Amino acid sequence: MSRNDISDETLNAFIDGELDADGKSEVFEALGNDRELSQQACELRRLSELVRHAYEKPPAIEQYRLPTARRMSRWTQGLAASLLVGLGTLLGWAMHQPAKAPTGPAALHAMYWDEHNAFQNTDMSKIDAQRGIKHIIVHLNTSSPQKFDEALTTAETLLKKYGDDGAEIEVVANASAIRMLRAGYSPYADRVRQLQQRYINLTFLACKDAIDHVREIEGNNSQVKLLPDVEVTPSALEHILTRLSEGWVYLNV
Amino acid sequence: MITNLGKNRKFRRELADYRENLYRIAYSWCHNPALSDDLVQETLAKALKNSGQLRDPKTLRAWLYRILSNCWRDHFRRSRDTVDIDDVVLIEKDTPDLCHDRQLVIHRVRRAIERLPMGQRQTISLVDLEGCSYIEVAEILDVPIGTVMSRLSRARKALKARLLEDEIRPDYDNIHHIGTVK
Repeated sequence: MSRNDISDETLNAFIDGELDADGKSEVFEALGNDRELSQQACELRRLSELVRHAYEKPPAIEQYRLPTARRMSRWTQGLAASLLVGLGTLLGWAMHQPAKAPTGPAALHAMYWDEHNAFQNTDMSKIDAQRGIKHIIVHLNTSSPQKFDEALTTAETLLKKYGDDGAEIEVVANASAIRMLRAGYSPYADRVRQLQQRYINLTFLACKDAIDHVREIEGNNSQVKLLPDVEVTPSALEHILTRLSEGWVYLNV
Repeated sequence: MITNLGKNRKFRRELADYRENLYRIAYSWCHNPALSDDLVQETLAKALKNSGQLRDPKTLRAWLYRILSNCWRDHFRRSRDTVDIDDVVLIEKDTPDLCHDRQLVIHRVRRAIERLPMGQRQTISLVDLEGCSYIEVAEILDVPIGTVMSRLSRARKALKARLLEDEIRPDYDNIHHIGTVK
């Protein structure tokens, strides 16, 4: 954020030509008064050029083959069927998961889908040995600060250990856990910010269903403002299912 | 019938025009030429097969990239427990002459993109390489527009830290990664 209240997102939108006339005027005015902001805009433009330059000539492929239909259709159909079965199972499981009292990341309850899309329960220490740690989704569904703290500590521990090896972690909050990602409510706003800045491979996601639910309870005029850079997913459970199908490991805190 | 044949031919031509762009985007996601080619073939095959689903020809681009994104996701699903996607990503055979300045810059940018989380990688490539609007990207990746903006902002912040604030240091760590590919 600059002194002119032009957010990073707005400055990016300006660079990408996504602002309307009023928005552009506001940024132009700010650029004239703020050298730092002006430099940031130049850097963003330069990055954009660098990215284009890097992929201007991707490595050539030997020759294009004629498109052949139905290469993957049976796989896709089978997968879709399995996903539907999995959806039901996970919904039931996620909603009725009893509270646990973990004592550290290694003791956390972890789950993944095996090659037959069947749920396999394990804990982090075993996952580490069995599958390697690459992609982990951490799920929170209560507003307990203690649990959120555990989730953050777990994510940080894993990223410290595996971050350089390409590990990716998503912390997904639904139900009352939304409070922990809500601006003005979360006692962990600063810590979330620090972790986001330190680890590019850590993403926080809030469930839109849960946000809508909060709005409903608090009345139509209620504003649910999330912490900066928290992404919104239409449905946390569907998102978790998608990740499981992509081979991610699921952690319930 | 003749009209249909004409339409079909026109549609194939339009698809062919997108081939190069689709390949570029696929490559920026997976950094593997053979896999990129497969993804493009699969995307075009699906587009041909499901051409009836495209109601508005103006949305052809977003529709095609959405299919590509789904193919890429399917690839993850198929390959789990068989191929480690991060190993695939790290095999970089197209830049043999790393000492050459231009190649070095290209290589460093691609390495920095590779290290972004997939959602950010997809978003930045669609905006910067394909020139998609934020609304188009939101449709292609099936995420809210706020997420597109936030991913883009975080991705560029990370690229800035890796590329602009550390420009002089050569990319020595590449040697280590190539060495670790099985």
